[in-house]
Amino acid sequence: MDFKTLLKTKDFILLDGAMGTMIQKSGAVYEHSPETLNITEPGLIQSFHRAYINAGADIIYSNTFGANSYKLENSGYSVSQITGAAISNAKAAAKGTGALVAHDIGPVGMLLEPAGSLSFDEAYNYFKEQILAGDGADLIVFETMTDLYELKAAVLAAKENSDKPVIATMTFEKNGRTFTGVSPASAAVTLTGLGVEAVGVNCSLGPDELEPIVAEMTRFTDLPLIVKANAGLPDPNSNEYSIMPEQFAASLEGLLKYGVKIMGGCCGTTPDYISEIGKMLGGKAFIPCPKTSDSTVCSPSAAVEINGPRIIGERINPTGKKQFQQALADNNIDYILTQALQQVGGGAEILDVNVGHPEIDEKKMMTAAVKAIQSVCDAPLQIDSTKPDVLEQGLRYYNGKPIVNSVNGEEKSLSAVLPLVKKYGASVVGLTLDENGIPKTAEGRFKIAKRIVSRAEALGIDRRDVYIDCLTLTVSAEQDACRQTLEALHRVKTELGCKTCLGVSNISFGLPNRELVNSTFLTMALEEGLDLPIMNPNVESMTGAVRAFRVLRGIDKNSADFISAYNNTAPERKTSQSSDVDIFTAVCSGLKSEGAAAAEKLLKTTDPMLIVNEMLIPALDKVGEDFEKGKIFLPQLIQSANTAQECFEVIKKHLSNSGGENVSKGKIILATVKGDIHDIGKNIVKVLLDNYGYTVVDLGKDVDPQLVVDTAVKQNIKMIGLSALMTTTLKSMEDTISLVRSAKELQNPDGSSKCVIFVGGAVLTKDYAMKIGADYYCRDAKESVDTAKKVLG
Amino acid sequence: MISVKHLSHSEALRYLGGANAEPDEKMLELINDCEQQILKCLRPKFLYKAVDLPCERLVKGNDIAKHLEGCKKAVLLCATLGADADKLIRVTQVSNLARAVVLDSFATVAIEQVCDSAEQEIAKAFPGLYMTFRFSPGYGDYPVSLQKYFLGELDAGRKIGLSVNESYILIPSKSVTAVIGLSENPIEKRKRGCAVCNMRGECQYRRRGEHCGF
Repeated sequence: MDFKTLLKTKDFILLDGAMGTMIQKSGAVYEHSPETLNITEPGLIQSFHRAYINAGADIIYSNTFGANSYKLENSGYSVSQITGAAISNAKAAAKGTGALVAHDIGPVGMLLEPAGSLSFDEAYNYFKEQILAGDGADLIVFETMTDLYELKAAVLAAKENSDKPVIATMTFEKNGRTFTGVSPASAAVTLTGLGVEAVGVNCSLGPDELEPIVAEMTRFTDLPLIVKANAGLPDPNSNEYSIMPEQFAASLEGLLKYGVKIMGGCCGTTPDYISEIGKMLGGKAFIPCPKTSDSTVCSPSAAVEINGPRIIGERINPTGKKQFQQALADNNIDYILTQALQQVGGGAEILDVNVGHPEIDEKKMMTAAVKAIQSVCDAPLQIDSTKPDVLEQGLRYYNGKPIVNSVNGEEKSLSAVLPLVKKYGASVVGLTLDENGIPKTAEGRFKIAKRIVSRAEALGIDRRDVYIDCLTLTVSAEQDACRQTLEALHRVKTELGCKTCLGVSNISFGLPNRELVNSTFLTMALEEGLDLPIMNPNVESMTGAVRAFRVLRGIDKNSADFISAYNNTAPERKTSQSSDVDIFTAVCSGLKSEGAAAAEKLLKTTDPMLIVNEMLIPALDKVGEDFEKGKIFLPQLIQSANTAQECFEVIKKHLSNSGGENVSKGKIILATVKGDIHDIGKNIVKVLLDNYGYTVVDLGKDVDPQLVVDTAVKQNIKMIGLSALMTTTLKSMEDTISLVRSAKELQNPDGSSKCVIFVGGAVLTKDYAMKIGADYYCRDAKESVDTAKKVLG
Repeated sequence: MISVKHLSHSEALRYLGGANAEPDEKMLELINDCEQQILKCLRPKFLYKAVDLPCERLVKGNDIAKHLEGCKKAVLLCATLGADADKLIRVTQVSNLARAVVLDSFATVAIEQVCDSAEQEIAKAFPGLYMTFRFSPGYGDYPVSLQKYFLGELDAGRKIGLSVNESYILIPSKSVTAVIGLSENPIEKRKRGCAVCNMRGECQYRRRGEHCGF
């Protein structure tokens, strides 16, 4: 019987117990890792499998938990040797018994970006290698995962390189989260979307402690649940577990009501535990537990259920925004991050991400933006592009369940976009337009919505995951348009049972007092059943309308969200009143708004360059000097730099308005070298250099040497700053420097280098810096500025 | 397992320069705020395990050999603040770098405090034995590549979510691995300090006649 049939026909499926515990108890000795026993002691491993089958296990896990090429390094064996032997052992034990063999795969052992430095693609390749080696198994199981991103890479590797069924379990701590902060809801939603056959939990806790986690998971999925708990809580150091077999089985019984169908044991369990579970299940029927949640999108740590109006922030979109376009051209990801955090601060629960701009590689930028935003922000994202290949890029590298923006009724769009939505388990915005344009009438738009929904359902996409956008047209051009949009929205909501979304601000184009029109239209649309307004959450009247609607409709229970949004408005300290503070004092004391006000005032009477050279720079010099002498603390230095930054912005704006010269004193690349992830020092250097008028091209952390060279060539940059925190990453620094030196495009005709390289970092010394070919060693941010002055003026 | 309720302000300030400065009111407010914020993000966890000496896989190089002179056992320790502290610092860097550096200092203070508590627990587990100070991979000539061995021995990835990248950087970054020697005889009061520090040639603190506390 194959796994899918087993799943359909049996009430419950028994897994095995711990392999590690059996190995430990047997006293078996191994050189490198327990997986090597597959080759050195095949008989012993087979006997463990047999013991579990005899205890009643329907499925046994191969002894391959850590059989990836990272963990097997120096073991003397390859992944395919160990995996091949392990699966042969399991199959030998299962022969004639009807038991199935699951190819067991655990985490790689290195943490993925953004917390760690292993990339998504690297993780994918580790898993792919394992999966290709596990040909003989009946199914694939991923277990003990704590990072949803790693698990997504694993599931994709399985789906793209094998046709075996996949099941997956994650490991949660007592606080209800995994070590990396994944919530049970997010795990259930994401894995269900990716098309696994069953989801659940294993390891770390006993069955009793797992109850709240299992209860949350089942709310968000219709899949059968897996529980492979530890034998209670281990003593962290003696490794003894606290629960006996009968008690273990009794505790599991209490979890059956959550739709648990697949059960076994993790650390500390033995065949006795498995046979006790079998006894407990005898004669019982599976208790189905359909999901009670509505359509849900998520990041690893935050699940947003679309069970009432939720704001989608629209600001990450360069259309019509010069500054944003410039930021994209400059690869200025920080600009996008600031936009993201501001919108979440304003009340957005989901963020739309559009990085379409003719001058850039949109695919690359979409990946970079999605990764960067997810590294600082918990809100789920909506991947927005007109190009299917860009959508796929965003979907692949997104962690969680995103929304795709968008598909429409045109055949070309339906056949390109919907399969991606299905494959990556996303939700999708469906625009009610097609090759004939936007239908004028509500009926026309409703028809297209219906077509989109039926095409989505044919692929197995839940209609609740299709968010229909009935399109807002400009009311000043056609006054009836508003009524058609709202009517279509109402019908989609009530007749199709879909969620709805709508970009609202188009409505007021060409009218005065647009905000008033927008917020009124928004309120009307909410009343017709709008779930997802796509809007600027930093416009108070708009966000306020949504919040108030949630109260009046009884969605915001006890008005709790409303009160917390408006009740604690501690009066902001009005700092700008004391505008008599001069610019020098403002910078030295780190008073941002006073600095900006002072700059504004000065610009009326004083030459901008004079302000920069005779006020701002001397103020920064003084602060730098004070820091050097220990008279002020580092955060004070940074606050001063931020204040100066504010002043520079005012001056820059003034100059660009009056068409004057650019204040930039030259471009400098900054990068934390490959393998190194400590970038706080580099960021401090960046702020200071910014403030002395240099344009910093910040390549971030863990930067590939080639990217440094390519950027220097492309943007014709003459100065490069590199940082490394660890002795082990100094080698990367050396590699980066030598790659820069050897690049022909960065050499003068006489072979000398065009680039000046300065380096810094905690473990670096001047001697070492010179030895690896740097031009300057900078002890701190202040010295970096001194060096830049020397080199670029 | 352990709870950290307060963090030393003076230690945190020491990482922030300002050797000749008194924090003003604004700075004090920032310090207090950041302490409270980081405390909420701490998920401190540690593991330890004693091994008998001599132990070839553990003792590599002269400095650790000297450190463990006269000891019959060594305790491997690893400790971490968990991933949330790293995330808080990462997020704060985007919007407020000044605040981020203060949070970062407090996190550094916190992991030291966690190690101090772990040490107290270890002392209770081995009554009657004398303990050396904590000696970590990367000190003196003790290879940082041993991080992988430490984590493997303690199963730290699975048990406390601690891992190491290809450059042997611990992740989460506010984490420590260390060796503590256990001896039946009183241990001559050796201290960590400039003598075993790789930075002694270039140290900013030493240059100013101060000490980093190491």
